[in-house]
Amino acid sequence: MSDEDKKTPFVLALLTLAFLGLAAAFTWGRSSAPVAPPIPAPPVPKPTTVRISAGQLMKSGGDTSGLACYTCHDQANPPEVKYDAEHRVILPKEHSDLIASMKNCDTCHLTKPVKLEYAGDGSVIIPKAHEDWLIVSHGRNDRNVNCYNCHNPQQLDQLVTRDGTKLRLDQATLLCASCHGTTYRDWQAGVHGRTNGFWDRKLGGITRQECTSCHDPHHPTFPQLIPLPGPHRLHREAAAETTNPP
Amino acid sequence: MTGPTPGGEPSHPKPANGDMSRRSFLRASAAFATGVAAVAAGLAPLRKLGDYCSVDEFLQKHYKELTPDEMARVLARIEREVERQYGIRPHVRDYKPMNGVEFVYALNLTRCVGCRRCVHACVAENNQSRDPEIQYIRVLKMPNGTLDLEKGDHNYAPAAVPEKGFFYMPVQCHHCKNPPCVKVCPVKATWQEPDGITVIDYNWCIGCRYCEAACPYWARRFNFAQPSIPREEINPNMSYLGNRPRYRGVMEKCHFCIQRTRAGRYPACLEVCPTGSRKFGNILDPDSEVSFILQNKRVFVLKEDLLTLPRFFYYFDI
Repeated sequence: MSDEDKKTPFVLALLTLAFLGLAAAFTWGRSSAPVAPPIPAPPVPKPTTVRISAGQLMKSGGDTSGLACYTCHDQANPPEVKYDAEHRVILPKEHSDLIASMKNCDTCHLTKPVKLEYAGDGSVIIPKAHEDWLIVSHGRNDRNVNCYNCHNPQQLDQLVTRDGTKLRLDQATLLCASCHGTTYRDWQAGVHGRTNGFWDRKLGGITRQECTSCHDPHHPTFPQLIPLPGPHRLHREAAAETTNPP
Repeated sequence: MTGPTPGGEPSHPKPANGDMSRRSFLRASAAFATGVAAVAAGLAPLRKLGDYCSVDEFLQKHYKELTPDEMARVLARIEREVERQYGIRPHVRDYKPMNGVEFVYALNLTRCVGCRRCVHACVAENNQSRDPEIQYIRVLKMPNGTLDLEKGDHNYAPAAVPEKGFFYMPVQCHHCKNPPCVKVCPVKATWQEPDGITVIDYNWCIGCRYCEAACPYWARRFNFAQPSIPREEINPNMSYLGNRPRYRGVMEKCHFCIQRTRAGRYPACLEVCPTGSRKFGNILDPDSEVSFILQNKRVFVLKEDLLTLPRFFYYFDI
């Protein structure tokens, strides 16, 4: 065997390996295609549905503004409300985003009768507890802002309709109905206001809301809400075109 | 020396002593290696196949042809798939339509404030992909005094809603009685159920997107990418035709929360609406809320002239 013959198997083996290596690189190189960079997602506040428990909701930092109290809380066993020295309600930390307004008067005032205090000039002194929340703006052009249109002048915690019917605070729905008849009719039919639970009444019950569960009777228009993010914008150019840039 | 005889046929005469020349060996081995590489490269996509299509799934029949036994096996398989992919054991069921029920939706445009709570409740309830984000409901901000949809803007993002001078009009699948999307489907992967819900079999859809083009309400969404949902945000109450996680390359859309409504509940968008603008129910029941609305309110449908006969009604009231 010549020297050349000894070299031949090595050269052939090397070449074979090189070919196989190229083949392998070709095959595996294709499978590891470059991963597309993830599309940046807008910050999405966690929404709530009835399937999420209150505990999960708080943990996820859920947006609770705009929800009725009894969406999460049990109406039969309501949470204890804490007051400071001036009888202001202390909002717990998890409800710091709450857009507070005065609803459900009777939760406080059924057990605590209202006593009016008057200033020297005869005007009513608004208690500290209501200072931040009491905005009187009722009627399309704020034309129903006289206290005694709805309250009994002799006893402020008693409601009185135009025809003189006296009502307790927890009967506020009937007072509203005395003016807003068509809305009351819709509400009785289940068409106005929130209805939660089962459309098929054979399978389960529903939760209805009274007028003052959703509306602040002194300021019945809903407070404005922060809108959740809209559809995802894939392209910057398209995002720049938007009429209301975030 | 005696070289190994490669699989390929030598294309030139062999040397007399039975050995092959160096040239013929190189040529043959190069051809062999190239052949192996080409076959391997050609089969490479098959290695990924196991990730998204098992043999059972590939051989699965159309939804309407499945016997109850086969359906049970399919549901168990989907539960396994979801558990493997998302790490959470779901409960996938096949809810059947109820007798004497036809669903109708009514939306009060006077009350809607455009807060988009419904959009995101829907995403959470129905296991839509979070990245890229898919939303079934689009809320159009419309200037007062017109119903010209071209003046609508669905990208509004002010600090607070509602804004003065505008009203808000949420648009989602209208579950038409005469659905153009069902007509164009070449494989019958989408159809109308007896209770009026237009559904999609995600295992039968081929992703041609004809239905997306046919829908006049822009209600259908396509999964361009593999949907991604964080494990803790998965809703484990799933249905076959409804909110089970979708695959890459299939269509999806609003199905009136089939897993809730066929169990007698209200859909998630209605439950979360802070103003009570949304009403849902059985139109065949004369005492239902939607029956009251259709009898007493001046309802209208979107793009009435297209004769799609939607089951989704809008109305204004004072």
